[in-house]
Amino acid sequence: MKNGFSVFIAAFIALGASWCGFVLAPVLQLGTAKQTTILVSGDTYPVQRTGDATLGLQVYRANGCTACHTEQIQQDGVVFDVVLTAAGKNPVVVSNLISTLKLTGLTKEAADSANDKITTVGGKVETHLIPTGRDIPRWGIRRSVATDFLYDSPVQLGSQRIGPDLADVGARLGNADWQLLHLYAPQSVVKNSGMPPFHFLFETKKIGDAPSPDALNLPKEFAPPAGYEVVPTTEAKQLSAYLLSLRADVPLYEAPFTPAQVSTNVPAK
Amino acid sequence: MNVNEISQQKIDTSCRVPLLALFGGAALWLVVGLTLSIIASLTFHAPQMFADCPLLTYGHAQPAANDAILYGFCIPAALGVMLWIFARLSQTELVLPLVPVVAANIWHLGVFIGLIAILIGDSTGFMWLEFPRGSSVLLFAAFLLIAVSAVATFGQRKERELYPSHWFLLAALLWFPWIYSTANLLIESGHPVRGVTQAVIGWWFADNLIFVWLALVGLGVAFYFLPKLGERPLQSSHFALFVFWTLMIFGTWCGIPQGAPVPAWLPALSSVASGLTIVPLIVIAIIFVKTVCGANTNCKGGPFCYIKFGTVAFLLSTLMLISSGCPHFSKIVEFTWFGPAQTQLQILGFFAIVICGAIYELLPRVMGFELPFPKFVRVQHWLFMLGIILLVVSLAIGGIEQGLKNYSLESSLPFLRVSTTGLLFLLLGSLLFAANIFVMTFKWKLALIKSVVAYIKSPLETAEVKS
Amino acid sequence: MFRPNKMSDEPKNSNPQPEAEPAVTRSTVPMWIFSLTLVLIYLGAVYFDHHGGWFDPQVYSPYKNAEELEAYQPKSGAEALRAQGKKTYETTCGICHGTDGLGKPGQFPPLAGSEWVNAKGDKRLAQIPLDGLNGEVHVKGQDWSASMAAMGAGLSDSDLAAVLTYIRSSWGNNASAVTADDVKAVRATAVGKPAINGETQLKTIPE
Repeated sequence: MKNGFSVFIAAFIALGASWCGFVLAPVLQLGTAKQTTILVSGDTYPVQRTGDATLGLQVYRANGCTACHTEQIQQDGVVFDVVLTAAGKNPVVVSNLISTLKLTGLTKEAADSANDKITTVGGKVETHLIPTGRDIPRWGIRRSVATDFLYDSPVQLGSQRIGPDLADVGARLGNADWQLLHLYAPQSVVKNSGMPPFHFLFETKKIGDAPSPDALNLPKEFAPPAGYEVVPTTEAKQLSAYLLSLRADVPLYEAPFTPAQVSTNVPAK
Repeated sequence: MNVNEISQQKIDTSCRVPLLALFGGAALWLVVGLTLSIIASLTFHAPQMFADCPLLTYGHAQPAANDAILYGFCIPAALGVMLWIFARLSQTELVLPLVPVVAANIWHLGVFIGLIAILIGDSTGFMWLEFPRGSSVLLFAAFLLIAVSAVATFGQRKERELYPSHWFLLAALLWFPWIYSTANLLIESGHPVRGVTQAVIGWWFADNLIFVWLALVGLGVAFYFLPKLGERPLQSSHFALFVFWTLMIFGTWCGIPQGAPVPAWLPALSSVASGLTIVPLIVIAIIFVKTVCGANTNCKGGPFCYIKFGTVAFLLSTLMLISSGCPHFSKIVEFTWFGPAQTQLQILGFFAIVICGAIYELLPRVMGFELPFPKFVRVQHWLFMLGIILLVVSLAIGGIEQGLKNYSLESSLPFLRVSTTGLLFLLLGSLLFAANIFVMTFKWKLALIKSVVAYIKSPLETAEVKS
Repeated sequence: MFRPNKMSDEPKNSNPQPEAEPAVTRSTVPMWIFSLTLVLIYLGAVYFDHHGGWFDPQVYSPYKNAEELEAYQPKSGAEALRAQGKKTYETTCGICHGTDGLGKPGQFPPLAGSEWVNAKGDKRLAQIPLDGLNGEVHVKGQDWSASMAAMGAGLSDSDLAAVLTYIRSSWGNNASAVTADDVKAVRATAVGKPAINGETQLKTIPE
């Protein structure tokens, strides 16, 4: 490097290259993404959050929930299950054949070959596609893709799983009462939870003429003193609405699966 | 003495006020940041502690701690060391010395506003970019001002040939404004980019700042001090040039985590880049071994020890980064404590230690007198070393354990206890560092006041004598 | 080692000599480092080729490329049949009739737009591959001298049904799918019979 200008050029080229690759290209490719359709049903996805759920995202951001929680499910592979739907004209032959074949946790080639064998002897089959991975089915049914976050701003993907992943929490724990209880006293609904209680999202007030309909139904160890009730503030309700809106349970072209199949918990390849 | 020869002492003295402005705030933010880290880690030992206190929950304290250490200590301290190195290598006084003084105050104000914002809930939600817009603008402006002074000093150099540290530090002056402005404009402005693109740009920024920028500046400082303190030349200029090119070209692509919810080409490129980063890593190791081994200096816990330890920490932290780019290993350790372990090794183990060593080496020259507590240097060295080892090793092993046990927090609790102890040692060390800086500043200001008072008194006497 | 003097009110120019700035040596980078870099770049390119999906925005890991993603999509019955039929067609029939269904001028008649393929019923069409076809046939206004063996006799019912479904729905053809049962029924009546002799006999077979 002879002088400052050549150093500048070197740095410009190096950073410019990754700027093109990781800023410009994603903005052109992902930044112009539009809604897509759900496989089979054809409904549009995603639908924008409304009302409390949108404000809940800001509560999530403000409280730094992303420091402990991720919102991205990962997937290691796919397996196939071959399921008999009709025995056809030779049920005995078909059932004999099936008892000799492995029909769950197959690769695509094995599934196609089993498919051929069974249809040749007259049976009718369906092939089910099941995602596999450590996160599946624990935290969701398929991997997260860019379309899931189309309308999120700011995107809160997270980088630490000190607590569980939340991408599909609306499907897994879709009960507003549970969410509010968990925010106030996590240890009351999850044993040995490491999550700190968020008392400041709630108000402990004296019970008026009648208990308020929002009051939390707390177990004894966590309940306020007699004559007092715990009521969620607006922020708590918005956060709960946001959490309930977090779902990643529909099949998409990028992340297909056969729905209404409880994953067989087949280990990943 | 040649009257055209600007004495080295004048060069050092010209840096005095700007550097004190930068270092004083930096030392304070290091203490604040490590304190916030300890507060954040207390959440795991006593979750009930901050149930009623929104300011200090983990979600506030941890990002605030990270940003206080990085933006509050690392960057301004590094810029101060950079200004001095440029002045020394140029053999001229620091050009426009008042500009960095103003910039330092703007920078520290920006950090202050940003930290308050995070604690009260106004963070942006993106890691390493949590400061809100107003604060980011202040930091950006302050950086540019300091860069102006640095480049002007560089331009006045007498020796036209560049020393390797010049390349690294000059590149860093372009790097930060570019990545910082891009990230802030595209993520935090009124029209942020759509959806997951925000995360991609956030990852690009984080990698370019934590890995590439800290490496450029840290290595630039290390390549200046290792030969100087070891009294051997740097081995060699061509190796350093190779490192310069390959670190910039490969390191800048390493940011996208495996398994992220983005199309496969993004993590694949990062994986390839991580593998290629082995090349500059090997060459840096060769430079280090060749320059340091055979150096006959016994460092005794002094600045040479700091910089040696810091460089080795960089090699290890880069190794951890490369292993995270391997999909099979990443499957185990992604989202575990392994990631923070690597970042803390890079920021505290490598960068903070190299900068502290550099400051301890240059500050007596700049101030014109010895450190007020010279023994603290050695004590702080041991505290930092012990603290880093406890912190990083416990988090790394805890992270691997956490990953193997399916993200169980319980399994990592004993490791977290050890890491909190490590943080305590680091905090103690930072208090010693702050003590040296603040007392030195105080002594200098006291001397300044005394000399002003003496000056006010003296002309009267001369006038009396004359008349 | 250079150490500054003790503090005084004004810093004095009393240092004996300025300390040296660090120096560099000039040894060159050995060749093995460049070779290693090139090897790693090559391995990286191979890795990206296998795992990068070639910048396709819809390919996410664990899928390796767009073709694999398309193949793994859960297909409806008709689509699955078409996909299976295409595979068999290309290995059994496409050699003569062409993968584009246009045949070879003077040798093999086209299937694209053929009135025999697009007929409402599929029984006549199914018999052609099951028995074979010889003699003069008109296809799309042209004369052809057919000499087709019973290419479909060796295929299973479902395979042949898939092939027929495929040719009836490709290259602009838009006729109904063929089921394995239909093929089975035709096979039962047509088994062992000699090749159909020309268009005159072909026309006698009900659609």
